[in-house]
Amino acid sequence: MSAILLGILALPILAALALWTLPASIGDRLAALYGSVISGLVLIGSLLLWPRDEGWFAYVPTQDQMLGQNMRPLQAVTDVPWIPALGVRFHVAVDSISMPLIVLTALLTFLCCLYSLKITPRIGRTRSLIALLLVIEAGVIGTFSAMDLVLFFVCFEIVLIPMWLVIDIWGDHHDPVGRKRAANTFVLMTVLGSALMLLGFLLVYRQAGTFDLVRLTNSPVLGGHGVPLAAAILIAVGLAVKVPLWPLHIWLPDAHAKAPTVGSVILAGVLLKLGTYGLIRILVPVLPDATATIAPYLAGFATVAIIAGSLACLAQTDVKRLIAYSSVGHMGFIVLGISTLSQAGLHGALFANIAHGIITGLLFFLAGAIKDRHDTSDLRALGRALYARLPRIGALLTFACLASLGLPGLAGFWGEMLVLLGAYDPADSLPRNTYLALMVIAGLGTVLTAAYFLRLVRKLCQGDPAEYPAAAFAVDLSRIELITWAPLITLTVLLGVWPGLLLHQWGTL
Amino acid sequence: MTLTWTDWQAVAVPLVLAIGAVAVLLIDGFWRSASAQLRHTVVTLLTSAVILFGLVFVWAQRDDFKPAFCRPVVEGPAECSLVFEPLTAGLWAVLLIGGLGVVGLSAYRLLSSDIPVGEYHFLLLSALVGATVLAGARDLATVVIGLEVVSLPSFAMVGLRRDRRASEGALKAFLVSVLSTAVMLFGISYLYGVTGSLYLTTIANRLSGLDPDLRRVAFAAGLFVIVGFGFKIAAVPFHGWLPDTYVGAPIEVTAFLAVVSKTAGVAGLLVLVTTGVAPSGSELRTVVAILAAVTMTVGNLAALRQQEAVRLLAWSSIGQVGFLLAPLAVGDAQAVVGYLAAYVVVTVGAFGAVAVVQRHRPGGLLSDYRGMVRSEPGLAAALVFFLVVLAGLPPGLAGLFTKFAAFQAVVDAHLGWLAIVMAINVMIGLAVYLRWVAELFRLPADDPFSVDIESPAVAMISLCAATAAVLSILPSTLFSLAI
Repeated sequence: MSAILLGILALPILAALALWTLPASIGDRLAALYGSVISGLVLIGSLLLWPRDEGWFAYVPTQDQMLGQNMRPLQAVTDVPWIPALGVRFHVAVDSISMPLIVLTALLTFLCCLYSLKITPRIGRTRSLIALLLVIEAGVIGTFSAMDLVLFFVCFEIVLIPMWLVIDIWGDHHDPVGRKRAANTFVLMTVLGSALMLLGFLLVYRQAGTFDLVRLTNSPVLGGHGVPLAAAILIAVGLAVKVPLWPLHIWLPDAHAKAPTVGSVILAGVLLKLGTYGLIRILVPVLPDATATIAPYLAGFATVAIIAGSLACLAQTDVKRLIAYSSVGHMGFIVLGISTLSQAGLHGALFANIAHGIITGLLFFLAGAIKDRHDTSDLRALGRALYARLPRIGALLTFACLASLGLPGLAGFWGEMLVLLGAYDPADSLPRNTYLALMVIAGLGTVLTAAYFLRLVRKLCQGDPAEYPAAAFAVDLSRIELITWAPLITLTVLLGVWPGLLLHQWGTL
Repeated sequence: MTLTWTDWQAVAVPLVLAIGAVAVLLIDGFWRSASAQLRHTVVTLLTSAVILFGLVFVWAQRDDFKPAFCRPVVEGPAECSLVFEPLTAGLWAVLLIGGLGVVGLSAYRLLSSDIPVGEYHFLLLSALVGATVLAGARDLATVVIGLEVVSLPSFAMVGLRRDRRASEGALKAFLVSVLSTAVMLFGISYLYGVTGSLYLTTIANRLSGLDPDLRRVAFAAGLFVIVGFGFKIAAVPFHGWLPDTYVGAPIEVTAFLAVVSKTAGVAGLLVLVTTGVAPSGSELRTVVAILAAVTMTVGNLAALRQQEAVRLLAWSSIGQVGFLLAPLAVGDAQAVVGYLAAYVVVTVGAFGAVAVVQRHRPGGLLSDYRGMVRSEPGLAAALVFFLVVLAGLPPGLAGLFTKFAAFQAVVDAHLGWLAIVMAINVMIGLAVYLRWVAELFRLPADDPFSVDIESPAVAMISLCAATAAVLSILPSTLFSLAI
């Protein structure tokens, strides 16, 4: 098992290096094929990590079983000293929290490589794009499997420069200045956030004398004031930049809007999850008391994010920016779920993490497809009546919007419902009335979410086809698009009708 | 008559370096019959051999404690002027590696032909003698002598090319150096007056027992000494001379200034801080911490606006010194030496890459580097790696972990405000280096840089990149340099 985990960590990096040693003249198709093979192997590897006999490695199902209790069996453990002078170990392992996220990462990277077989950004240089995607994949999987705070930090940082390059080089070719600014804002805000997070880690180390997450989880840093509180605030702020939590989300709309399609998919589908995963994996179990102190504030910001993100969506005229802002709202739900510190809320957050990755990945693929066909993503320039012009893509867009707004029966529903349930009954140490108020506001947020997605469908898909004739070159759903999107569509439906597939593995509800 | 004794092994390295210095001068002076290439090669090999001897010696003796020029005292341990101990070994290793790197960058066909080879290597080795003495010095007189022996050859080297810009740079460096020496001597005289000793350990012992009035004098004296070093390492606000001197000097000399000269200054300051002139809890450490915060912020902010590669490196080296001063302010020698080691390796590499480009494009603008990933992939990849190490992000884990150690030292010493300033500077520093990286990756370029790179330069840059890569995978080697 541990060999498989090390394999899926090392393979993308080595493959990326090997790809860079090939001459730049190798064809785009060949590079994409190579990337698909490698990321396909990683996907297979990540699925092999998934144990077959007992489904999942589960928590001990007792009622008071919070995340962060001792009984958390780890799989595929590798634990060797790395830098003894600093107390850093190379400690990786997976459990039921990280496993679905690793599979999601591997799946989305694989689909992005597959998509690049036919559809690539206009600037070309697919060889480097594929190599960078593979490096990002390795960094993200590393973050999801790191069991040492410093290793987590290192892997968290690995993705920064590749993602910066992806936005800066392959971003929107109409707007070189804008994409450069978007890339720089993204990388600088994130690096500041992660530096603050590192300070929090060092404070934890000063208190506990170890960076090891397993040991820290078993004997957490107690106390809700002073140094633990400072550490919790620093870690929360650092991760909140990544999530991104309002008001630290300002890098997100530009970065998503300017990034190429595959960049947006990876950014929204995978990179945002690093923040929420960090909150669940590190903040909640390692600093339980301090987290309880700041949880109401986190919940407040999360609720503001839900409302602000939704309102911003109502005002957007650009499809990609609209979807980007919708991520702010959805990530707000996830943070709200985490900050309830209750089992339902945390399960909701974990579930919504996966659901958002799948649905938003699909949405950005669709937005990219529409943008490629019309060379713009501005709603006014796009015109209406997409149902008539591109019936299949229009239908899929409606489907993805419905999934994203939380239609029961699709994947987006369960996470948000559980989050609201968690806010109805937060952990005992938290002020229940505050959470009830926040729950009501967040409930209004779901209505707003429905409103802006329906507005998008109305503005883009519906309308009189006579007024908006089809562009001559616009072809409907191509085969490669169908192939790459089919897994996402299937999973959206599957998780919608059978949420237990994931949920029962995280413990009893 | 006091009895003194010396373990000659402690001074073996400076002695051999000094003998080597004289030897290269003589070879170059008296062996005129040989061709320039042969003479240059012999001089380079001899200089490298001398430095390599030093490195081997340091590695073999790294765990030992060897005092030199000692005299007994009535009670307590003997007072020594020069000590070889693990910390000295770490600092010497960094200095010698830096010196070796500069020698490599100055090989035949790389060093511009109007620079006299013998004098150049003589000055370089002399400066290394001073630097090694400074890193081992344990009394204030030796500190001053060591510092002067580093400084005098340095500005002679800046002026070697004898054109207007070089002369201006040399003169600036000279004036600042004289001024800083004066300030430092002033401080030292007061320290001597207050404590009655020049030996650092004795000063440290007596400082704790001073009455409050004298303690204030001692603080002022320590301040003057730190200001003197501040000029040497170009800490803000004593940095004004640095950018012009860096740009004026031949690029190999700039590399020397950024690597050997700067390391020597930091080493001297580190010796003063750790041996007790600024014990933990003293206000002097707060002064150094403030100096660190100001230096890194000003250096990085100014670097953000530079359009020339060397100026950018000059200002960002000021920012790096700020980062070095942070663990220094809390007396964490391990973090300082580790940081220095990573900084030295990648700075040599970066200057090597810049030298290659500047030889063909003397303008030295950042835009000259446009599109190099495609036209000159090897050089570009190495340069990107060096810059990423300087910025401290993956894949440059050597830089990341040395910054990490600096953070850890500062956080452990409860200097929260300094840690926050450092975090902000990580961001600004990244912005600085990313501008350059962005140029390297920008395509299509109108006139991409592409040449046949001289083979010694290829060897040096590859060596630096390989070393940095090894240090990135095994960062623990960085922190085992000084235990």
